[in-house]
Amino acid sequence: MNDGLVKILDGNTFVVSDPRGDIEASLTDPTGLFSFDTRFLSKWILTVNGQRLTPLSTDDMQYFETRFFLVPGTGTVYVDSKLSVIRRRAVGNGFREELTILNHDEKPVDLTIRIDAASDFADLFEVKDALKKKGTYSARVKDGRLVLGYERDTFTRGTVISATAKARVDSDGLTFKARIEPDGEWSTNLDVVTAVMGTGEKREQPTFARPRGRQNMEANLKRWVDEAPTLECDWDALRETYQRSLVDLAALRFSPPIMGRQSLPAAGLPWFMTMFGRDSILTSLQALPFTPSLAETTLRALGEWQGTRVDDFRDEDPGRILHEMRYGELPAFEERPHSPYYGCADATPLYVVLLDEYERWTGDRRLVHELEQEARAALNWIDEYADLMGNGYISYRRRNEKTGLENQCWKDSWDSISYRDGQLAGFPRATCELQGYAYDAKIRAARLAREIWKDDEFAKRLEKQAAELKRRFNRDFWIADGEYYALALDADGKQVDALSSNIGHLLWSGIVDKAKSKAIARHLVGAKLYSGWGVRTLAEGEGRYNPIGYHVGTVWPFDNSFIAWGLRRYGFKDEAAQIAAGILAAAEFFEGRLPEAFGGYERTRTRYPVQYPTACSPQAWSTGTPLLLLRTMLGLEPAGDLLVVDPATPVGIGHIALLDIPGRWGRVDAFGRGRISIGEKKGLGQRVQAAPV
Amino acid sequence: MTDATAEFFDALSQSGHEPLLEKAKGTVSFELTNGTRVECWLVTLENGDVNVSRKNAKADCTVRVNKDLFEAIAAGQANAMAAFLRGEVAIDGDMELMALFQRVFPGPPTKRPRRQNGGSVGRSS
Repeated sequence: MNDGLVKILDGNTFVVSDPRGDIEASLTDPTGLFSFDTRFLSKWILTVNGQRLTPLSTDDMQYFETRFFLVPGTGTVYVDSKLSVIRRRAVGNGFREELTILNHDEKPVDLTIRIDAASDFADLFEVKDALKKKGTYSARVKDGRLVLGYERDTFTRGTVISATAKARVDSDGLTFKARIEPDGEWSTNLDVVTAVMGTGEKREQPTFARPRGRQNMEANLKRWVDEAPTLECDWDALRETYQRSLVDLAALRFSPPIMGRQSLPAAGLPWFMTMFGRDSILTSLQALPFTPSLAETTLRALGEWQGTRVDDFRDEDPGRILHEMRYGELPAFEERPHSPYYGCADATPLYVVLLDEYERWTGDRRLVHELEQEARAALNWIDEYADLMGNGYISYRRRNEKTGLENQCWKDSWDSISYRDGQLAGFPRATCELQGYAYDAKIRAARLAREIWKDDEFAKRLEKQAAELKRRFNRDFWIADGEYYALALDADGKQVDALSSNIGHLLWSGIVDKAKSKAIARHLVGAKLYSGWGVRTLAEGEGRYNPIGYHVGTVWPFDNSFIAWGLRRYGFKDEAAQIAAGILAAAEFFEGRLPEAFGGYERTRTRYPVQYPTACSPQAWSTGTPLLLLRTMLGLEPAGDLLVVDPATPVGIGHIALLDIPGRWGRVDAFGRGRISIGEKKGLGQRVQAAPV
Repeated sequence: MTDATAEFFDALSQSGHEPLLEKAKGTVSFELTNGTRVECWLVTLENGDVNVSRKNAKADCTVRVNKDLFEAIAAGQANAMAAFLRGEVAIDGDMELMALFQRVFPGPPTKRPRRQNGGSVGRSS
């Protein structure tokens, strides 16, 4: 990992340490042992005879397990290299560390081995925002274990640390005395267990976490990868990217406490290991042809937590799909609204989109029946609660003005929605992609109503509404002199006229008039939006354009994957292939792990994609991007009980085969061959070839 | 003295059928503690049909909470999930049942009309 930190995780339990395996967290840095949005260890330091250790190497065995090879001493000269220290750490209900020390000397050695441990029990929000704690701490030795505790009224969190070898335990850690014979070794297991409620002394209350064995996790990962389709391809880097994506997606799986062993994609490590409306839905959509079970859990879990009342603090409305769920101290005391928080304008229509797309792939009509009520409530939300301006468009303005989210679309930073001259739009804001999602939700729900819910009246009504919406949208959002759609309508219904990547999502949704689609495709691969690697969030030349501005010029891989899907939908095969080629070429520079975003610099200027500094990696929808790009390149599209394959792949990719694609057809294979020639500056970097093969 | 708890359960019982609870199947027991006294409510759910009684019986999901806090939850003044995260609501058994049941707790009382405006997408058609 490029930040030098070593991360292992299982669901929302994760450990972030330095390359020695030590944790020395300040309030604002994200190292430590975290679970359910709380830090359970902020200090975990190993010393041998009073000395810190130096890493020789770190072995990332699996995403849930790592091994640190160390020698005592710091600095460039090893004062005592006759000793090797190995820490093997696996995350579970907390973590287990096997600590082994080898003596390579001819003489026996006497050692004092010390682990210093402490916890600040910070809420992840406190780590992000550097807030002070309000409760009281404790550190006690009980039955040979070190018990760290935090209490604020009825809110309690605890960490219990124990060792298998004989240890002297004090309130700051554990000390071991060991004599190791020549060529001998000493070892102990250290167990760190997180207690979400109570440390065993209070009345027993339920804990969230379910411990999973390491072997179990290994078998589970193997099964996950085996069950996904197999990719064969002449381009080695793409195969590696694909493998990386599958494993990272496995790592990002999260089982909400109510869902048993079923899992959905969490948004990203370390800050976003929880259920999100938007991120979980979009990642499930990307992964549908590969791992359809994620979509099912996403639909069920988000359905269970669908809003049922009007609650201004949580920005909740009936039918609204949640934005984010958190389990830490701040939401518990309602200092943050995430229990859960609903301030998100796109997850609700996208929920319906996912339900339909899921059925098209899997043929699982049962789930569509089961979630009929939720889908209808979501559609009702679009009409009854989301139209804040009374103009027939979804718009957003938070009701929780203190801790709610100002921007409730995916471009959620403060300066993302601007006019060409750089001025920011006021609230409410009706961003264009929201209208596309609403259109798509209605069209797709009409199919579900007709074919599965057997409600023809409802289907007709939805289609009529959708046609009407499309007509108005193409009139109200179209900027005639620029030939593209406005980024948003402002509170006065005036066009927010910046040229942005959002127009690509409109193609994906199908709201674009066929006659206008050519102009949109031209913009997407034109010099102002297309960097050579991908489509920029905001076009070069706009007032706020900045190649390293979060949502105002950087290239987001996930954004591009949906744009590529949209281009294919409207028949722009070459343009879709071009975008796939650029993003996949960029992935090669990140060893197959696409970042959240990278700089919007012209490709010819930098020659490599400049990573945007961000704390979140891997991130779910970046992880899902290569999967969706494979789908768009191969032109995979369910048609009844058949899977249509219509490949349009870039030349440099050569031969490509995706085997055992699961779906209502059972398992089928898809083959393609690179035929789309992409100009040098744009395509697959060094591997680009001049003519079709 | 008004008892929001009784009002809440009575309304639920009288409705007989609650669409929001159609996916919940099983029994939820509410043990509301008040000093040494425990007030019990047993809710039986099947396909949205709701039956409420004052029985003290073993249930698929048992919810233990202070009576004062439950009064606030039943009146929409406190949020059940946040209270659970604080450790003020203890849940034993099937958590999913409670996740579904919380749908019917009322929202906070609002000063303004529920609907923000009269607009709807289909309006102009």
